[in-house]
Amino acid sequence: MFNNYRINTYIMRFFIYLVLIILLAVTIIPIWLLIVNATRSTTEIQQGLSILPSTHLIDNYKILLGKGLDLPRGFANSLFLAVTSTVVTVYFSMLTAYGIVAYEFNGKKLFSNFIVLLVMIPMQLSIIGFYQYMSKLGLTDNYAALILPLIANAGAVFFGKQYFESMIMQDLIDAARIDGASELGIFHLVMMPLAIPGAATMGIFAFVASWNNFFNAFILISSLEKYTLPMLVQTLRGDVYRTEFGAIYLGLAATIVPIIIIYAFFSRYIVSGIAIGALKE
Amino acid sequence: MSSSKFKRNYYGYLFITPFIIGFLIFGLYPVYNTLALSFTDTTLMTKNADFVGLKNFERLFADDVFLNAVKNTWLIWILNFIPQMGIAMLLSVWFTNTRLKIKGIGVWRALFFLPNLLVPASVAALFFAFFSFYGPVNQFMVSFGFLTEAMHYLQSVPVTRSLVVFIQWWMWFGQTVIIVMAGMTSIPVSLYEAAMVDGATSTQMFRRITLPLLKPILIYVFVTSLVGGMQMFDIPFLLTDGRGSPNASIQTNNILMYMKFASSKGHIGAASSVGVLIFIMTSICALGIFYFLGERDNDADDKPKRNWFSKKNAER
Repeated sequence: MFNNYRINTYIMRFFIYLVLIILLAVTIIPIWLLIVNATRSTTEIQQGLSILPSTHLIDNYKILLGKGLDLPRGFANSLFLAVTSTVVTVYFSMLTAYGIVAYEFNGKKLFSNFIVLLVMIPMQLSIIGFYQYMSKLGLTDNYAALILPLIANAGAVFFGKQYFESMIMQDLIDAARIDGASELGIFHLVMMPLAIPGAATMGIFAFVASWNNFFNAFILISSLEKYTLPMLVQTLRGDVYRTEFGAIYLGLAATIVPIIIIYAFFSRYIVSGIAIGALKE
Repeated sequence: MSSSKFKRNYYGYLFITPFIIGFLIFGLYPVYNTLALSFTDTTLMTKNADFVGLKNFERLFADDVFLNAVKNTWLIWILNFIPQMGIAMLLSVWFTNTRLKIKGIGVWRALFFLPNLLVPASVAALFFAFFSFYGPVNQFMVSFGFLTEAMHYLQSVPVTRSLVVFIQWWMWFGQTVIIVMAGMTSIPVSLYEAAMVDGATSTQMFRRITLPLLKPILIYVFVTSLVGGMQMFDIPFLLTDGRGSPNASIQTNNILMYMKFASSKGHIGAASSVGVLIFIMTSICALGIFYFLGERDNDADDKPKRNWFSKKNAER
């Protein structure tokens, strides 16, 4: 009887690992093939599949630039936009979240319910009205139109609120007040340094969101020299590159490899950060 | 002392002021503006626009282009959400099972989540390259004899739709696994131990303990996935020609809205009306799910829940 039970567990375990390996293959193979194909020449790619990298990375890069795709500039634009977006999101969201958690004011409950409501409403669908409004203000084709709305980022505030609520901070606030710190000073000099792990997790998400954002940038940005990487990907689909498979794969790989590198370092923060938003509600 | 404390709490307003101003300028006003535009015939080309009442909305329902887009969006979302949830439940049950002792849970989860972080535009272009006529999928299918000759995958309605469903699933199942599993691990082990003492089977425990306590998390996943799914754009837009080909079978709400916006006249009045309808539809569904499935129960369960938390703390 006991033996039977153990055998069942072994069979079950074998079956589970099999499922996990299949899922892993489905997850990783497309990404792996992309990276491998970025190093192979177009002829090699047309000859057949390979799971091992080749030596044509530099050639593909030259073809890519030769056809007029300004990859370094797209990279710089995306990086600038992602870093600025991250700073704005983290600072203002932490500020708002701290305000909600640290003070008792009338309407506090209402305001935090309102934040939850905003998370559930598809604000992005007002993009057309947003576009027309920005064009009146002369802010179309300007990164400001992509960055400034992040001052009011409901999802990030919600995350920050959960984070501050998990910190025990009343004693620290009181101690800082006795030392004569101002309220804003307490936030900037005492609480922000303590909340760095939470701010970092929020920052990673903000960075990735900006780096991956295609729709808003596609609608708001029009001049080629301001194109971000996802927008350049869209031009990669055009006729000029129709036959240059190696170069296309390299262009795509260039957009995702930085994210994979970030993930390799911060996966723990990212994975634990996803659950924070969900668990409390 | 109490008056200074009272004054100090005014700082709460100071801290939330930037958010409120930012929201009014960049959140609320654009929503109002979109609504206002949807009642006009504004285009990007002309300066003056007229109020046309509900004409834009009438036109959306005059043919089935709009309804087709709504249908596509729902279909693609539901078909990717069901397997996403199913796999997340299955893996979470396996990962949290103390008898099975699956190794490397953190690594599996982290790897399954990876596609979610990749640039969606690049993912779409990548699958476009894979499934193009001279792409690796045809090479594989022909050389291993699954197909006698290469085919145009992205000209077939069922293949293209399935591919969008697959990509959406591929990008999101890892996240759902992480959230559902976090929910399962937050259920106190003592509940299962008590049930086991009472002789409950694992199916009974799943139905009577896991599912009810997991409900708020499941609702969260459901609502956030729905809100995201209704705005699906990058993948179907970049997988084919940007118009939802073949046969408008992957033309989603947002693609339709973009097509109206980017049409030769730039008819942003009509584009706004699409945005307004999708906004209303999604908000009603999301809030409906949240309040009817979630809140009502939460109120009734408020008390036992607090006990549950204090019990958990007492155990530590």
